[in-house]
Parts: sequence; structure tokens; C-alpha cells
Amino acid sequence: MEDLIENLTRGNVTEVKVVLATVVAALAVYQLVLAAVSYGKVRPRFLAAGPATWAHRAVGDTVLVLAVLVAVACVAYYGFEEGGAHAVFGCLVLGALAAKVLAVRIGGSSSPLLPWIGIALFGLLMATWLTSAGDFLGVG
Amino acid sequence: MRPPSQLRQIAGSLLVALAIAAVAVAVVTAHFGPTSTARLEAREDAIDARVDAREERREAAEDRREEAEERREDGGDNSGPG
Repeated sequence: MEDLIENLTRGNVTEVKVVLATVVAALAVYQLVLAAVSYGKVRPRFLAAGPATWAHRAVGDTVLVLAVLVAVACVAYYGFEEGGAHAVFGCLVLGALAAKVLAVRIGGSSSPLLPWIGIALFGLLMATWLTSAGDFLGVG
Repeated sequence: MRPPSQLRQIAGSLLVALAIAAVAVAVVTAHFGPTSTARLEAREDAIDARVDAREERREAAEDRREEAEERREDGGDNSGPG
């Protein structure tokens, strides 16, 4: 697995991970904006709640795939031993993602839990990014 | 002014997401600078070549010193009473 990741990233494992994690973090901020439009908290003239919800789901699916890819690369290449807070936040992110998917599947899109899980997921994603990629880029 | 159709709104939202992803990639890549494997390998090769050249010069100097010492010792033996 380590060799596969090394080959796929051409030896730049950390750099590729930082780029992907930063894309996930940036899209998470956009997801927050789309969710606010979707719940009617913000009402721009150029975007209605319906299309915002649709886009939120599409972008969310993409973020989910990217986050899982980053997590797999992280665990397979670096392991848990030296992860510290980053490893804990990363595991919580995956847990929150699973909880969000479950909440949608069981309670539907009108589940009252969804906004809270979404906010928790956003906070955890940012904490995970800050303790790794952000730290690497001199932000965290 | 009429708001754009739903399809246009969705397409616009997805395009904004794509733009955000592209900007994130560009900013982080610019922050890293040149990190291509080829450039890193070229840099390592240059360092190795410098180390090898230094090592060769050191060995050559050592050989010259040893030869000089041998010549001096030989010269010392010849100059003694025979």
C-alpha cells in the first residue's frame, strides 16, 4: 500500500495530501455557505434554496471521496503512532461523515440533526486541516 | 430582473465549487515551489558530484603527501654513513 501511494504521488506524498486536504477545507467553507442558503438563513437573489441543496449534496459527495482518499493515504503511509491530535480529529471527521450519511438515509433531508452534525463536521474538518496541512503551510 | 433558471443556478454553484478547488490547488502548489521529483533528483545528483569531487581531491592530496614522505625517508637512508 505504501509503495502504491508513493508511486501514485511520485514520491510527493505529503505535498499531494496537503493539496487535497486544502481543497477539502476550502470546499467545506463553501458547503457552509450553500447550507445557509439551503436552510433559508441567507437569501441571495441569484440562488434559490432548491438548487443550493442540490449543489450542497453534489459537492458533499465530492468532499466525502476526497476526505476518504486523504485519510487512507494518511493512515497507510504515516500510521497512527505520530498523529497525536491530528489522528484523533481525523477519526472524528470520518465518524461525523458516517453520522451525516446515516442521518440523511434514516431521517431524510429534513432531519433536525443534520445542521448540527454538519456544523460539527465543519469544525472537525478545520481542526484536522489546521493540525496537519495548515501546520505544514505555516497557518496552524 | 428574473432570477436564473434552476439548472443555471445548479451549474453556477458547481462551477463556483470547481473554481474554489482550482484556486486552492494553485495557492498551495505556489506555496511549495519546485518540488518535482526530477528537480529534486537533479539537486541530489549535483550534491553527490560535489562530494565525490571533494573526496577525490582529498585522496589525491593524501597520495601526494605519502609519496613525499616516502621520498624523504628514502633520501634519509641514502645520506647515512655507508
